[in-house]
This record gives sequence, C-alpha cells and structure tokens, in this order.
Amino acid sequence: MRGGGADVRRLVVVGHGMAATRLVEELVALGSSDEITVVGDEPGPAYNRILLSAVLEGSHAEEALTLRDTGWYAGHGVRLVGGTRVDELDRAGRQVVLADGSRLPYDHLVLATGANPTLPPMRGLVRRDGRLHERVHAFRSLADCRRLLEALPAARRAVVVGGGLLGLQVARALSVRGVLVEVVEGGDHLLRSQVGPRAGSVLQRSLTRLGTAVYLGARGVRLTEAGVVLDNGYVLETDLVVITAGGRPAASLARRAGLTVRRGVVVDDHLTSPDDPRVHAIGDCAEHEGRVSGFVPPAWEQASILARRLAGHDVCYSGARSVVRLRASDLDVAVLGDPEHEPGEVVEIANPVAGSHRKLVVREGRVVAASLVGDLSQVGLLTQHFDRGTVLGPREPGSLLLPDRPAAPRAIPDDAEVCACAGVSAARIRSCRTVEDARRTTRAGTGCGGCADVVRQLVATTERHPV
Amino acid sequence: MTHTHCPYCSLQCGMVLEGRRALEVQAWPEFPVNEGRLCRKGWTATGLRGHRERLTSPLVRDRDTGELRAVSWDEALDLVADRLSAIRDEHGADAVGVFGGGGLTNEKAYTLGKFARVVLGTSQVDYNGRWCMSSAASAANLAFGLDRGLPFPLADIEHTDVLVLVGSNLAETMPPAARHLDRLHENGGTVVVVDPRRTPTAERADLFVQPVPGTDLALALGVLHLLDAAGAVDEDYVAERTSGFAEVRGSLAAWWPERVERVTGVAAEQLRALCELLASADKVTVLTARGAEQHSTGTDTVLAWINVALALGMCGTPYAGYGCLTGQGNGQGGREHGQKADQLPGYRMIDDPQAREHVARVWGVEPGSLPGKGRSATELLDALGRPDGPRALLVLGSNPVVSAPNAHHVAERLAALDLLVVADVVMSETAARADVVLPVTQWAEETGTMTNLEGRVILREQAVEPPAGVRSDLELLAGLAERLGVRLESDPVAVFAELGRASAGGRADYAGIDHARIRAEHGVFWPCPAPDHPGTPRMFTDRFAHEDGRARFSVVEHRGADEQPDAAYPLHLTTGRVLAQYQSGAQTRRIAELADDGPFVELHPFLADRIGAHDGDPVVVTTRRGQLRAPARVVTTIRPDTLFVPFHWVGANLLTNDALDPTSRMPEFKACAAAVRT
Repeated sequence: MRGGGADVRRLVVVGHGMAATRLVEELVALGSSDEITVVGDEPGPAYNRILLSAVLEGSHAEEALTLRDTGWYAGHGVRLVGGTRVDELDRAGRQVVLADGSRLPYDHLVLATGANPTLPPMRGLVRRDGRLHERVHAFRSLADCRRLLEALPAARRAVVVGGGLLGLQVARALSVRGVLVEVVEGGDHLLRSQVGPRAGSVLQRSLTRLGTAVYLGARGVRLTEAGVVLDNGYVLETDLVVITAGGRPAASLARRAGLTVRRGVVVDDHLTSPDDPRVHAIGDCAEHEGRVSGFVPPAWEQASILARRLAGHDVCYSGARSVVRLRASDLDVAVLGDPEHEPGEVVEIANPVAGSHRKLVVREGRVVAASLVGDLSQVGLLTQHFDRGTVLGPREPGSLLLPDRPAAPRAIPDDAEVCACAGVSAARIRSCRTVEDARRTTRAGTGCGGCADVVRQLVATTERHPV
Repeated sequence: MTHTHCPYCSLQCGMVLEGRRALEVQAWPEFPVNEGRLCRKGWTATGLRGHRERLTSPLVRDRDTGELRAVSWDEALDLVADRLSAIRDEHGADAVGVFGGGGLTNEKAYTLGKFARVVLGTSQVDYNGRWCMSSAASAANLAFGLDRGLPFPLADIEHTDVLVLVGSNLAETMPPAARHLDRLHENGGTVVVVDPRRTPTAERADLFVQPVPGTDLALALGVLHLLDAAGAVDEDYVAERTSGFAEVRGSLAAWWPERVERVTGVAAEQLRALCELLASADKVTVLTARGAEQHSTGTDTVLAWINVALALGMCGTPYAGYGCLTGQGNGQGGREHGQKADQLPGYRMIDDPQAREHVARVWGVEPGSLPGKGRSATELLDALGRPDGPRALLVLGSNPVVSAPNAHHVAERLAALDLLVVADVVMSETAARADVVLPVTQWAEETGTMTNLEGRVILREQAVEPPAGVRSDLELLAGLAERLGVRLESDPVAVFAELGRASAGGRADYAGIDHARIRAEHGVFWPCPAPDHPGTPRMFTDRFAHEDGRARFSVVEHRGADEQPDAAYPLHLTTGRVLAQYQSGAQTRRIAELADDGPFVELHPFLADRIGAHDGDPVVVTTRRGQLRAPARVVTTIRPDTLFVPFHWVGANLLTNDALDPTSRMPEFKACAAAVRT
C-alpha cells in the first residue's frame, strides 16, 4: 500500500474513464508516493470507451475493453471507489463530498469527469420520470452499449440522430447486425466537425450504397408511436432511436464549486484551474486555450503531462496533434488535425466515382492537416509525416496522393543479374537451352529459388528465338 | 573428399570439399538443412585459400616506427604473455579483456571462456553475439526457461499454416532456407513478412507489413489485442501450459488498431487482415530475426511476439510456435559455452553456485577462483583504457571496428589500450590497429563443431593442411596458457569431449554427442545428455524448461527507439546485409567472385526527389555520431521515411546508436535518427 504517513500527499481523481486511468498508470510508472483515490460513478473496471462501437458491431468481446481491472489498482496501492457519484467539491475544506455524504480530503484534486451526451430538442425522448423513452438510446457508456445490445434482437429498424463520427460508427455497427438504419443529420453534410462538404458527400454516397439512408438538413422534432417525425414532414418508422448528437463537458461540479467554466473546466498550460492551484482537469471535461477535445490522444497527452507535473517535473501542455479515425466497417475515414480551418495550401484529389476524397493542407512543406475519405492507402505514412512535422519536397504532397503506377514490363538486359544466389546474368541464362541446363551449368535457381520464373521465361524466349 | 559446412551463416549448409591444393566446393545433397543448395558465398568459400592477403606470420608493431614486423610464433606469444602478466600484476586480473565471436567453433568458444576465467582470471570476457541474437536469447530464457534459437528443425515451417517472419530477410541472408517458403506455399500455407523494406523475402509473402523501424513491439501488442477481442485466444492451452496471461490481457485494451496505426504506420485495415489470418489458422509459426531484435527494446519486442504465439496456443505443438533465426555461423553454440560475460559452459549462469561448482570441478579449480559476471560486449569496449576498464584486449573471430555500433567511438577506445592482440585470417580493420597480430587457420584447415540455428550440432572437418606459419585459435590459446602456467587442450576432439563433460547437466547438454554420431546422424540436436539419447529435434512438446513446466507471458510496453527523428535528423536509419557479403566483410570482401561494390544508401523516390538525388548519385548520411558518403540506390521498396545502409563496410556503424537493451545489452543497430543530403 502506498502512502499512509501523515506527510503523504493525498490525490483524489474524480472520474474513472480513459484519462483518469492513464493518469494513474503514469503516476504508478513514475513511482509516485501519493495516496491516490479514484472515484468513478460507473460500476466495474475502467474500459476503452472508443471500442464500444466494436462491441456493438460484434467484432470485439466486451472483456477486451477492460483497461485495468480492480486487482491492478489494489496491487499498486491505489484506492478505487466505484459506482459512486461525487456530489460536491468543498474547496475551502479541501474535501470531495460523495453521494452518501462521506468526505474525501485531498491535497490535489484531478477532475476527469468526461462528457455527457447532449440530447437534441426533440419531444418524446424523455419520459415523465426523467429516464429515456424505452426506444431511445444514448451511446456513451458500457451500460448504454449493453442496453442497446439487449434491444437488438427485437429491432428491425433504427434511426441514428447525428451524422458525426459516433453516429456513423453506430449506424454501421447496427447495419452489420442486420438492422435497417437511417441517419438524421441537422447540418448540410456528414461529419461536418471534421471534413468539408465534398468529402461529406462522398461519404454519404458510400453510406447510401451500404444501404443506409441519410437525411441532411433535417431535424427530428418528436418521437411518436409512428416513429421519428422530421421537421420536413417525413416520418421515419423505427424500433430504435440512437442519440449521437455530441457531448458536453461534464463540468457542473466545477461550476458549482466556483471554478471558471466556459464550455469545459478552464485550465492553463499546467492543466490547473486558474482559480485554485490544487485543482486540475484533464480529458473531455477540460478546456485548454478555448478548446475542448472529446478524443483520446489529447486526453492521454494531458494525463501524461499532469502526472509528470505532479511528480515534480516542469512540463507544460501546449495542445496535442489529433488524428481521428472512424472505426466502422467499409467506411474509411481519417482526419489529421483540422483540415477545414488550418491555414495552408490545399492539395486535393476527389474521385466521387470511386468513393474517395483526399485533401492535404500543406504549410511550409509540412502536412499540417488532412482528411482522407474512402482511400486510406497512405494513412500510415501521412500520419507519420503529420506527427513528426516532416518537411516534404514541393512535389511530394501530390505524389503521396497519386497511386503507384504499375511498372511497364521491360525486357531484361543481358547484363542484369537474374540469380543473385549464384551471381548469374540474363545473358548466361539465355545461352542455356533448358531450365535444367541452366541449373547444371550456371547453378541459377539452386540457392533461394526466387529466380525460377524468370529463368523459365528467359530459357523459353531463347527457344522461340534462337540467337 | 571432405564433408563439411559453409564458413558463413547460421544455416551451416552442408558442402563437400574436393582437392588437396585447389579446393573446390561441391554439393552435399544428403545433408537435410540445405539439400545440396548453397548461395554464392558458399560456392566461393574457398576463395581465401592461398589468397595474397592471407596472414601467414605473427606481426608485432614496432614501437619506434609504428610499422608491423614479422616475428616468430614463440617471439609473439612470449611477448603477449609477458605483457599480459605485467598488466595483470600491476592493475589486477580484470585489466585484461577477451573478446570472442559468434563464428568461432564450440571448442574455441569454450576454450576462450576457460582461458579468460582460469588462465587470466578475468571477468572481462564477452563476444560479438551480443550484437546478433542476444535479445531473442534473453526473451526465450524468460518465456520458456531455455534458449535454443529454433526449438524445432527449420524444415518444420513447411508444414505450418501461417508463417510470420518479423524482421527476417532470409531469402537474401540465408538463401537456401527460402525454399521452405515455396514448399509452404505448395502445401497451402501463407507467409507474412514484417519489415520496413520490401525485401526479396517480402516479395514471396502473401501479406507484407511495413512498419516504422522500432515499432514491431507495438505491432505485436495490436495483434494480440485484436486476437483477444475476437476470442481467438486458446484458453485451454493458456490455462494448462502457461502462466501470467491475465496480466498481459489486462495490458492490451489500450492497443486498438487505429492507435497501433498511428504508432507503427501500418494501416488498421492491414492489421485486421493479419489478425484474421492468424485467428483462422490451426498452426502459426512466428520467427524473429535481427530486424526485430537489434533494438534497445529488442527483448521486449521478442517477448511481445512470443506472447502472440503462446496466446494462440502454438509453442510446443507440432509445426507451430516461436523461433529465432540466429545470424552468425555459430551464433547458437557460441552463446552456450562460456565466452559470454554471464555464462559458463552448458548455458549455465555464472552466478549460479551449483553451475560454478560443476564447471570448476571439470576444470580442476576451486569454484571461488572463478570470476563473476563481467561487462557485456558494448560496455566492455566502452570501458577499454578507462581507469576501471581493461588495458589489454585479446580479440578472436571478431572485427568490432566495422561491426560495433558507434564504431568511431570503439576505434577511440581501442586506441586507448596498452595492448591490443588480434587473431585473424586476414588483416581486418581491427587487426590493422593491433599491437600484435596472430595469423590463424580458417575453416577448411581445422576441425571443429558448430551448432546451427536449429540447435543441431554439426562437424566441420579439416580438408587441407593450413599454410605454413599459421596456427589454430586453440593452439594459440594453449600456447599462451602454457606461458602463463596453465595447460589447455588444443586438440579439437579432446576439447569437444571436455566441453561435453562441462556442459553435462546444463541447459545445453552436449554430453552424449561425439564426432561419429554427428557424421552418422547429419548432426545431433541438443540437449543430448547421454550416448544412447537420441538428441532433441523438437523441444517443449510436454513441458517448458521453467521449474513449473509452464511458459511465461510477460507484460511489455512499447517504448520506441531510443533516438527518435527530429528537425535536424528527420529520418529513420536502419541497417542490414546484402547477399554477396557477410558480416564485417573481412572474408567476403576479399573473395574475387563476390562483387564488392561498397556501401550504398537505399532511399525511396519521394525522398530522393526531396533532396534532389538520382540513382547512383553520391549522398551523405549523417547522424549524431558520424557520417557516411555513398551512392544513392533509389528504390520503391523502402519506406519513404527510412534510409537503409548495409553494414559490411566501414561506414554504417559510424552512424548507428549504441543505446542498449536493458536485459540483453543489445545495441540499437536497427533504428536511429538520420539526415541525408546530396
């Protein structure tokens, strides 16, 4: 058990999601002597939230999402308080007040409370008791995912409200499960937070081809027995409504405690609240330089930096490069940075016929943002260039987007080495009458055997055209 | 007519030597490892016989002129023995170091270790095998409790369903082995190659995966994550034959395909394809080689791939499992008999009291007289000439000026020595810096056993008389030992018998092997504890070598290469071999029939265009440690963010990073940050 002494620093982490888990892992790795307590409102171990759609689709076992089981926390002397809500922060008393009224004292407090799904203004989503209508589902937590999975056997049709990343992932997962899916998106194209209209329309075409209808510029106004009623008068008959209309940083605790909250809990480059040097925030609930992220890589970057700061290292958070990947069968999307807003020169290749649209934003030779839809053949390399800030040559961004040209078949020159193992030239093999003859007199093909086809070809050519 | 084996790589292809004066290589079709096949290095192996650059007289550097002059063997050995004694008397036993090689026969490796511990009393003995397969060795010891590169005959891979080659270019580095890939295909199997370059081996793959250098570990984590998520783990096998899987399972959730893609540069889609292939196969074999192992994270990288093989339930089952394709001719045997800083013969650990007692009894000395663990190869070289490091070094079968990482630094350390003694066949770059050069026999001129990559102990028989003026390494060591007051055996048959006794009861037990059996059985697989024991072609069939009989999973984390590209050095540099050359090239570069075109710099057309270079233009590669100027070879088969330089010439290792793996002490030959310009 770590900690215990009177002079040991007490660290309380509110939230038990991916940012919180990473923070604790990093603290443990740094050999922290803090007495660490993690309070999470979800029961069970922390899990990898971004793979929920893979569980919904059926490609991932639920157990494979577990980040750290309870035994790991115990083994590293970290106290885990699961299934417990935090009701209040008592900053003056430096205590966290739990739902049962008990109090946890802290020397440092980390808010990693994540985000809550936003409900669109649509009548009939919520029942009188405040719970979601039985046909309506959110998709943020493992509990949401399980509830949706339970509803699947009886469901034939589904409406996904929201055409963003999560919406498309859920739509594809449900399709793979055999449910007929329709997507309702209020904006004028799909994935509008990440890509431009042209890329969005390529994506829409692909989705339509996969059997999912998309309604753009449409809002659901109410849910009735007949289905989802859109503002354009359409009624989408459905058994399920999945709400993926984005999330809002879970910042109410901080707000009530008098900390500065705009969209999220405001933090500086030290990931610390400007109002209280003992309070920190990381992950989806945090707002840094006016930005909230909603993605794992920045959350982990913040967790890592805060862990090092708490361990006494002088490091700062200056924003993270984000690479967003859509995880959905048969829909290929990668978004590097913010291609719609990042200034720079644009290199773009669109092929709606083949279902692809690729765009690079280049500034001073570097790929500073990109969106790739329908063709991820260079995603690995582009991500490396993006992450490492590689300075490319003037022709390189264009070359990266062009397919490899098939090499024209060429005659093998006489001095070319055909068999590397034995060091035999094409001329020597051409002088042989049969493959066996070539093997015996030149040893071509007797080493690794990789030249067998070429030898056969050269000998055959010789036979047809005697020299 | 003499049946023997090629002098080069770990395949140890069988060959027949004909003739007394002009030796000729002929095929030996009955020997199963190569079935009569050889590559051009093997066919031309006799090229050093009678070569004008062959050393035939001991040479001593004249203190006044700095020139080497020929002396008699007695004069040379007297001089070396006197100097070693004086240095030892003045500075202690550890002031003398010994450096061996993975190309030495078992008898030489054994005698070298004994010479260091018994004659010199020094702990400072290690060898260039640290730069070969040491990461795979460390990993196999951790996972299986025993390290035999391949725990099965190489030909077994023809009968697996999916073969995964991680960082192996066997079609170029051991060409006769490539026929197994063709036969595997004929049998309906699938080949996966993981390499930053699309090598001739990758050309034969059904699935080619091209990760960023230094990220094979993350790739393996991603593979295991997907396999576990898809329910492909063999739970029965894991429960019955392994331990530690729960902890590994708990460490995988953070390695989803898209994160792996960002780290490795391998598209998530391809990772999924690989995992589908693995999940649907009954038999999977994973083989690693230097590409995966020569990293500061080499041990963990191999462990990550072993985890994959174990989770699929493959290790110790027919035609499946994990193996390492060892590199040097006696890379396997060379690490088993005591030239390694922490080991005694029979793969015994030097800090194990029982091991010390057994070996001391065979050697007729007190266990307490044996020194403890010494420095690893790279650390040993780094310590040369320093206040607490060796002041004299004896080098056998190695050319570290070419083969060590950060070689410029190594040359500086060698220069700081009071005495450098090098035994070699030719004037290697290291020999050229020596105070005393001792000319020794080459392979066809002496007899000895080797242990190939399969753990098969084979016999190289003497085919011809050595040139006048040349002695074998064994005679050299015995001659020095005699002058230092200890009698050492120099007859290879007698040494092998003694080695058998010293190894008896150890992990690599040779006690039941003799020359007659090796001849009759086309080699004998260790462990072979008794004359009536059949040898062990396949290991781990019932149990692993840990006390509880189980294989161990290890939790490993991706750390990445020690040196990451940055603005000044924006590229990855990796190194490797070409077909026509071998290791530091001391032998092959002198053989007329093998093209010696010098080093080159392989780069992608994107990168060539970026710096304005054309194929054949000279380009300059720089790293924090050195620079190399060589012609560009512009190829589409390499990653556009990566450079490749072959390491057979002085140059490549002026560039490489000597950051070490914490367990195996393997330097990071295969990844460092570099820049290139015209």
